[in-house]
Amino acid sequence: MTIRRRIRGLIFLLLAVGIAAVAGREFQSFQTPFDIKKGPGVTRIKRLSHYFEDIQHTRGDTEVYFLTGENPGGTALILGGTHPNEPSGHVAAILVIENVKAAAGRIIVLPRTNASAFTHNDPQEASPSRFSMEGRSGKRWFRYGSRSTSPMDQWPDPDIYLHFPSGQTLSGNQTRNLNRAFPGKNDGNYTEKIAFAITELVKQEQVNLVIDLHEASPEYPVINAIVAHERAMPLASAVVMNLEMRGIKIGLEPSPKNLRGLTHRELGDHTQALAVLMETTNPSQGRLRGRTGQELVTSGKDKMYLKAYGMKRLYVEFDEKGYPLTERISRHLAGIEELLKAYSEANPALPVIARDIPPPEEIRSRGTSKFLN
Amino acid sequence: MVIIYRLIALFILVIVVWSALDEDDSYLQATAALVSIPILLRVLMIK
Repeated sequence: MTIRRRIRGLIFLLLAVGIAAVAGREFQSFQTPFDIKKGPGVTRIKRLSHYFEDIQHTRGDTEVYFLTGENPGGTALILGGTHPNEPSGHVAAILVIENVKAAAGRIIVLPRTNASAFTHNDPQEASPSRFSMEGRSGKRWFRYGSRSTSPMDQWPDPDIYLHFPSGQTLSGNQTRNLNRAFPGKNDGNYTEKIAFAITELVKQEQVNLVIDLHEASPEYPVINAIVAHERAMPLASAVVMNLEMRGIKIGLEPSPKNLRGLTHRELGDHTQALAVLMETTNPSQGRLRGRTGQELVTSGKDKMYLKAYGMKRLYVEFDEKGYPLTERISRHLAGIEELLKAYSEANPALPVIARDIPPPEEIRSRGTSKFLN
Repeated sequence: MVIIYRLIALFILVIVVWSALDEDDSYLQATAALVSIPILLRVLMIK
C-alpha cells in the first residue's frame, strides 16, 4: 500500500515538474529584453549604472540613449516604462529613440526606466506577457510588465512603506513602485537605488526638463492629463492650450505636495529640472476591465468599460472605439512635441529642438508601421 | 537576504514534496504536487 501511494505521489510530482518546465520557460523569456533599434539620431548609449555603480550587473541597470544635436542647448529627459504595465509610455519612448534627431540641445531617453519590472508581470491579473505592433519589417514584440520591481530583486515587502526622506507612509507593496521611490536613497532598497541613479542622472547631466510617460485606468481621476510640478506649471499650461488647439483633449493637474515619491514631485523639488508626467487612458490595467489579453492592450476596446461608462463610473468618455494603443502613443508624442517647443520658446538660450518626431496624427490614423524600424 | 528567501522556499518545497509522497488521499497528493510548481520556480529564481 505504501509503495503504491509513493508511486502515485511520484507520478503527480513528475507531472508537476513537467508543468513547471513549460511555465518556467515562458517566465524565463521575460529575462530577455525586447529589441530597441538604434535610430539615426542616437549619438551615444550609456548604462544607468554610470550614474550609480551599485546597480551595475543587476536587472535594473538599463540603457540610457542620448540624442545630441549639433547646436548647443538644454537637456530633456524622457522616461518610458517607469510602470511597464502602461505600454504607451515605453512604446512612445522607443519611437523617439528610433526616429528623432536633435537639432539643438540633447534628448536623453530611458525606454525601460524600471527594467526589473519588465522581467515579470503581476500575479492574478491575467495580463499578457507581451504584445505586438506593426513595424517596417513586420511585427515588433514588446513586453507587458508589472507596475513594480520584481520580487526576485527586492523582497520582502514591509507592512508599511516609509518614503525617504519625507517619512510618508504608504501600503507595503508600494515599496517596489519606482514612482513612489524618488528621489531615491543610495543605501536604500533596490527600487530606491534605481530612483537614486535616475536622480543622479538628472543632476549630473543637468537636465532641464523631465517628461515621465504613464497611463491610468479609465476609473482613475487623474487621466488624459499632464501633472506638473509648480515650477513647471506655466510651461504645462501653455502645452495644454496648444494640445487643445490641435484637438487633443487634455487636463492639467498640479503635482500634489503631500503625495511623495513621484517623479514630478521629487525631481521638481530635489533637482533643477522642470518635471511633468503625462497620463493616457489604458483599459488593460483597470479593475473594471473584462477579458484581458493582447487584444485589449492594443485595441483598448472593452465591453465592461462601455457598461461602466453607461453607469457613470468613469472619468473619461468611453465608446465602442475604445482607446487604441496607437491613439495613446500619439497623445504622448504630441505632448513631447509641444513640451519641447514650449520649453524652447520660453528658454531661447537653452533650446531643445527635436526633428522627425513621428507625426501624432499619422500614428493615430495609420499606426506605427512606418516608424518602428 | 536572497539566500534566506531561497532557503525558506526550499524548506517549504521539501515539506510539500513530502506531502505529495506521503498523503493517503490521492486528491491531497495531487494538490501538493500542484502547490510545488510555483515554489519550485521561486527556488530556481525563475518567477
